[in-house]
Amino acid sequence: MIGFTTTIPLEIPLAAGRKLVDLNNIFITDEAPQSFIEEAEIAGFPRNICGWIKGIYGVTLRHKIPEIIAVTEGDCSNTQALMEVLSLKGIRTVPFSYPYDRSEDSIRLELEKLCRHFGTTLTDAEAVRQRLNTVRLKVHEIDRLTWEENLVSGGENHYFQVCTSDMNSDVDLFEEEIDQFLEEVRQRQPRREKLRLAYIGVPPIFSDIYSILEELDGRVVFNETQRQFSMPYNTPDLISQYRSYTYPYDIFTRLEDIEKEIAHRRIDGIIHYVQSFCFRQIEYMIVRQKLKLPVLTLEGDRPGVMDARTRIRIEGFLEMIRAQRA
Amino acid sequence: MNGFGIDLGSRQAKFAAIENEELLWLKDFPTIPFYRQFGSVTDGTLQLDFAAMGISGEIRLDETPVIVTGYGRNTLALADATIVPEIQAHIAGARWQTGLEDFTLLDLCGQDSKVARLENGILTDFVMNDKCAASSGRYLENMATVLEVSLEELSQHRANPVPLDATCGIFGESELIGKIIEGNSVESLCAGVNQTLIKRVMPMLHRFPRDTIVLTGGVAKNAAFRQMLQDAASADIVVPEHPQHNGAIGCALLAAKKRN
Repeated sequence: MIGFTTTIPLEIPLAAGRKLVDLNNIFITDEAPQSFIEEAEIAGFPRNICGWIKGIYGVTLRHKIPEIIAVTEGDCSNTQALMEVLSLKGIRTVPFSYPYDRSEDSIRLELEKLCRHFGTTLTDAEAVRQRLNTVRLKVHEIDRLTWEENLVSGGENHYFQVCTSDMNSDVDLFEEEIDQFLEEVRQRQPRREKLRLAYIGVPPIFSDIYSILEELDGRVVFNETQRQFSMPYNTPDLISQYRSYTYPYDIFTRLEDIEKEIAHRRIDGIIHYVQSFCFRQIEYMIVRQKLKLPVLTLEGDRPGVMDARTRIRIEGFLEMIRAQRA
Repeated sequence: MNGFGIDLGSRQAKFAAIENEELLWLKDFPTIPFYRQFGSVTDGTLQLDFAAMGISGEIRLDETPVIVTGYGRNTLALADATIVPEIQAHIAGARWQTGLEDFTLLDLCGQDSKVARLENGILTDFVMNDKCAASSGRYLENMATVLEVSLEELSQHRANPVPLDATCGIFGESELIGKIIEGNSVESLCAGVNQTLIKRVMPMLHRFPRDTIVLTGGVAKNAAFRQMLQDAASADIVVPEHPQHNGAIGCALLAAKKRN
């Protein structure tokens, strides 16, 4: 079993016959995710470091993950130190980067390095990509049913898209789950929430954000990063697929995608989620200046249900959009 | 026109009654004794003893529309009571109390600090403090306790403020104790505490126009803070007649409007 710290070109280890797991997903879906953070803090991780990093550390040790692919450029620089601490614990760590220059050459180099590590080739990985694309297409359909036909909730949309990072560690089983869901969804009546929201930023550490938004008559019809995990663009090969993937590169590349989708999906307001102590909090300044819709930035620290204060801010924000529309 | 408004805040529970656009009366109780004396929780919902609070004789609860806001809003068991977000209540109160339609609202309450912008009577943007209440009235209360002065005394001093830099409201107490030991006067320590609140609030205000600032919440009663805010923000500072009851008044107005 190989763990990884954020979406990686999973085609490559899969082509080498390896089993994969997104460590974030094990962390957040555990019955007591908080306990992983506590373990990390007891080991010495500072309090003012992102909860996801500490969660990944705890998960790797408790689940005895022998090897991890750590994304050290394009996601989070704390991962470098995490990788060092984990190597000290005897865990094999494989660095991977999404180069900031986003050039074809440097991405090819990174993909080839990963191929060499796993003893496979880009050609074999391409065959796996074709298989994964059949599953991704179905997830894109779930996304379309969310915003175009209003049959899917924001939370369901989040779940299926976020799971594409590791295909729930079992591509065939995940595909079955998607097929069942699609069948069920098509029997539904369209949902009636009045406000159409975009969720941008990293996936939330709060467990109830989507249901709270729906309780307040708003629904997320665009999950920015989660949709990126599902490789939403029709690309000819592995290299162009991971070049088109916006999340690991600069904010302006992400904003182009966000602006296009908010227009397309008729969005009323934007929830911008940032993780406490993450460098991406700084990007809020650019987001606010560039996007012309109302933006509410929410900050989450530890896993669990949303706190009263964040809820008050959401209520005020939705009320503001309603008043502006009226 | 009749409306009854309730604002269940972190430090005070506040009540307002409106009739024919006239304020009938205002009441307030400190939160914790209020819940102990008049509240009881059954099946997760809060029951209030309006008779014991002396309110039932003054308002027909079965007839008058009620609107509630504040932290206790979702648990209050009151037939037909409507819940509104705090921002909405405070904006409604500030518009009515000042007659203004374009302003930046700075609401400094027990633990909340809010900045909201109103343009042509419509809320266009807002921010709230998060993570820390060091920019709220509670900070002033804590520091006054450390200095052993009343809030009234604290609110009189703004000259020669002692610089206080701790970013945490509680660690700020130990910093303050250090400054006492250094021999600073109580007056300049009080001024330092007021100055710290200005330093916390200004970054929130920076993103909003500062033509007119309507200041509400309990902190609006602090004269030194008002003057320091005017100097720092270079804005017209408007303090409505009932800054602390602004949210409850807003609720009462929205309730009255609902009836029409």
